Amino acid sequence: MASGNMKVIKRRIKSVGSTMQITKAMELVASSKLRRAKKKANDSKPFFNAQSLILSEIVQTKHIETVFTRKREVDSAEAKRLFIVIAGDRGLAGGYNSNLFKLVVAAHEGQELPKIIAVGKKAAEFFGKRGYDVVSKYIGLAENVKNAYCADIANTAVNLFKNGDVDEVTMFYTEFVSSMVQKATDMPVLPLEIKAHEPGKHIIPITYDPSPEAVFNRVVPTFIMSMVQCAVTESYASEQCARRIAMESASDNAEEMIDKLSLLYNRARQEKITNEINEIVGGANAL
Amino acid sequence: MTPFNLRIITPDKVFFKGEIEKIIVRTTVGDKGILAKHEPYIAALPIGTMKIMIKGNYRIAAISPGTINVGENGDTVVIVQSCEFSDEIDVSRAKIAKKAAEERLSDEGVSIVDHDIAEFKLKRALNRLDAANYK
Repeated sequence: MASGNMKVIKRRIKSVGSTMQITKAMELVASSKLRRAKKKANDSKPFFNAQSLILSEIVQTKHIETVFTRKREVDSAEAKRLFIVIAGDRGLAGGYNSNLFKLVVAAHEGQELPKIIAVGKKAAEFFGKRGYDVVSKYIGLAENVKNAYCADIANTAVNLFKNGDVDEVTMFYTEFVSSMVQKATDMPVLPLEIKAHEPGKHIIPITYDPSPEAVFNRVVPTFIMSMVQCAVTESYASEQCARRIAMESASDNAEEMIDKLSLLYNRARQEKITNEINEIVGGANAL
Repeated sequence: MTPFNLRIITPDKVFFKGEIEKIIVRTTVGDKGILAKHEPYIAALPIGTMKIMIKGNYRIAAISPGTINVGENGDTVVIVQSCEFSDEIDVSRAKIAKKAAEERLSDEGVSIVDHDIAEFKLKRALNRLDAANYK
């Protein structure tokens, strides 16, 4: 009995050990990807900030009402919505994907199913399976962000909004708070709400070519594009971070498990030896 | 000439940051030259070329649509979707892009959206070639 038990324990130790090798490797990969992802996320911020500064300066100069800022007069239960959901392409990243999906599902509770633009394979699968209207999906975008694709997402959203197919556009992504905390967040995109920059401050006259409205309307599509790009790069950094933490704790757990199993194994071995000695002594006494 | 600060920002990174003496850009309403201590000014930029004077020498850059923003103290920010200096342009790639776009445009079966995209790409390729050949 004891020797059979030992074999089973030995096999468990081996299988846990090989799982640990995988989780350790994934942890290393995630932490090296994280460094690059963080840099990318920081590099895409200046473009976004510069544009939001222009928009807020325009709003400060004069009140702008365009097709992008006008609120639709609809009941909130009946409003047609478009959700841009930015999740990962792969699993095994702790609660990274599921936290975001929970937030999305909670956001339209009791309302009509929204249209979805899915970024990431997990998002496409999740919403595809559940009968949402997935307008378009982008798989493998986050790892290698191309601004053509971000522009495509922004254009799709802007066109649906302009045509009146949707009344509201909201983006769901994971905010990178710190390397320990990543938070699933929602961000209203359209209708645009631009706050005047430093309200109350005296207004410096700015010359616009051709006009404030024209510049505003030209900036908005690229502004939304860079909003998407910032969210995608930031989410990707969050994903790598979440994966690194998940894999780190998985490796720790595996190590703990191996320790426990080794203890059991040694105990079984000891038991077997004791038994054998008992048998020998018993045999010798019988002679 | 008095130098002033210029930053060129593209979606991926801050493309250029430094002191320059003069910048000439083509806005949607015409060419505009900007020197130090210009009044606050914001304009939309189409696809075009931009000339920057750095230490007495002109550098040419090909830019995609964006905006130019002259701040209160004359510091200038150019925000564009892409920017390349003429000596960094890959001419053969631009030629390939031009040919592909032309083929796309001559194809009668393409949708309106694809037609617009091809037209935009053709404009960009031609602009790159222009900037690369600028004397």
